[in-house]
Amino acid sequence: MPRNRTVRVAVLGSSVQRSAAPGHTQTRSSAVKRRVVVGVLVLLSLVLITVSFRSTALDGVQGTAADVLQPFETAADHVARPFRDAAGWVRRLADAKSQNAKLRRQIDALRQQVYVDENALQENVALKGQLDYHGPPTIAAFARASAAVLTGPPSTSDQSITIAVGSANTIRGTTGHVAAGDVVITPDGLVGTVSRVFSHVSRVMLITDEQSAVTATDLNEPTAVGVVQRGNGSGAVLTMGEVAKEKHVGIGDTIITNGNLGAGLLPSMFPHGILIGTVTSAGISDIDPFQSIQVQPFVDFTSLQAVIVLVPRS
Amino acid sequence: MDGVKAAVLLFVASLLQMSVLGEYPPFRSASIVLVALLAVSLLRGSVFGAVAGFGTGLLLDTATLGTLGVTSLLLTIAGFWIGRYGETTARDRFHAPYLSVAVVTVLYAYGQILLQFVLGEPAPAGLVTRELFAALLVNLVLTLPVYGLARRLFPPAEHGDRVREVRLLG
Repeated sequence: MPRNRTVRVAVLGSSVQRSAAPGHTQTRSSAVKRRVVVGVLVLLSLVLITVSFRSTALDGVQGTAADVLQPFETAADHVARPFRDAAGWVRRLADAKSQNAKLRRQIDALRQQVYVDENALQENVALKGQLDYHGPPTIAAFARASAAVLTGPPSTSDQSITIAVGSANTIRGTTGHVAAGDVVITPDGLVGTVSRVFSHVSRVMLITDEQSAVTATDLNEPTAVGVVQRGNGSGAVLTMGEVAKEKHVGIGDTIITNGNLGAGLLPSMFPHGILIGTVTSAGISDIDPFQSIQVQPFVDFTSLQAVIVLVPRS
Repeated sequence: MDGVKAAVLLFVASLLQMSVLGEYPPFRSASIVLVALLAVSLLRGSVFGAVAGFGTGLLLDTATLGTLGVTSLLLTIAGFWIGRYGETTARDRFHAPYLSVAVVTVLYAYGQILLQFVLGEPAPAGLVTRELFAALLVNLVLTLPVYGLARRLFPPAEHGDRVREVRLLG
């Protein structure tokens, strides 16, 4: 027996190579297969991210695939609608009593306001005619394309929705088509802007998205111009920044889009006068050069069923 | 057959998430798709989970017209990882689906933020952190019915068919 014998020799008595158990090779090959599969998938994902992020090469494929998915999304929406309506009905019923008293008070106040506004409107029209005044573009200067909402925001950090209208759809009242940057509204107010357009679907960035910023003004104090952006909270509350301290913005004031008023090299993409929301709080601090204003949007982003895309007529 | 069943389950879950559940605040940060994927991965293993995750991610990115590959990457890793967890240690344990969902919900949320940051998009980590607890809670509540359904659709393999990762030799 050699002096430098191995452990194997000590245990087995000889240095005969034992064959591996039959399952061992299979396990090793399945481990290799597993790593290859996940490696390929991760690599493929990274390639997709790179191509999709850096170019528009995959837009055609993505648009076609989104078109294919559209009927399924519409069907899911139709199936869920009765349940959604029932849930909404229960929720509204609970709020109805408190809302009723509040709305009655509002009606009384608004009835008086209507008389005042009607006079002001007639005066405004007459004066505009006399002066041949041309104001900023309003909603009337745009054709409207109604579209169903296909998918809601995918996450709290990505506040985008998809809608069932795209560049291939014809729009009544204009020869133009839906394009990136077009403004999206509902009868309640501003929703956002079109961020990506495909043939029959589009992606809309909501005003609650981190990247959204809208030049806005106070309807009661038109010189109070600021920028409406997403608030810090997790809800749909917006903030209106860059409003000078000397401007009076009161709680309950209505905030609207400012439009092209005072436009420079970069005019606002929003027409003047689209409703955004009401001021819920306004404050001034010693260290902040601007006011701190919170705005509750008129649009309920949790129950968007259909939207209107404003397409320029010319 | 398992592939078809998984495809149908994840497709329906994706439709539910995008068209219905996403509208309700508690479900906006939670994800029934993630829970369904983890249940399938836990029951059918890492390769199955990775492929299912990739396909589901591609479907979500396509339907929401987002950057292709982002969700695929996250769900591929999530499916693979939980599949391995199921294969090696804990497929039959009661806590396995809950633990998987809890851990992956947290990692998925921060993984998404990290990818958005890398891509130069807004990455509101504070907001995600604030909503994480609610997302975790809803996902854990969803785990019970979704995992129960997945177990019916994908009954655990017979003992002899399982992957044996550890063999005692000699």
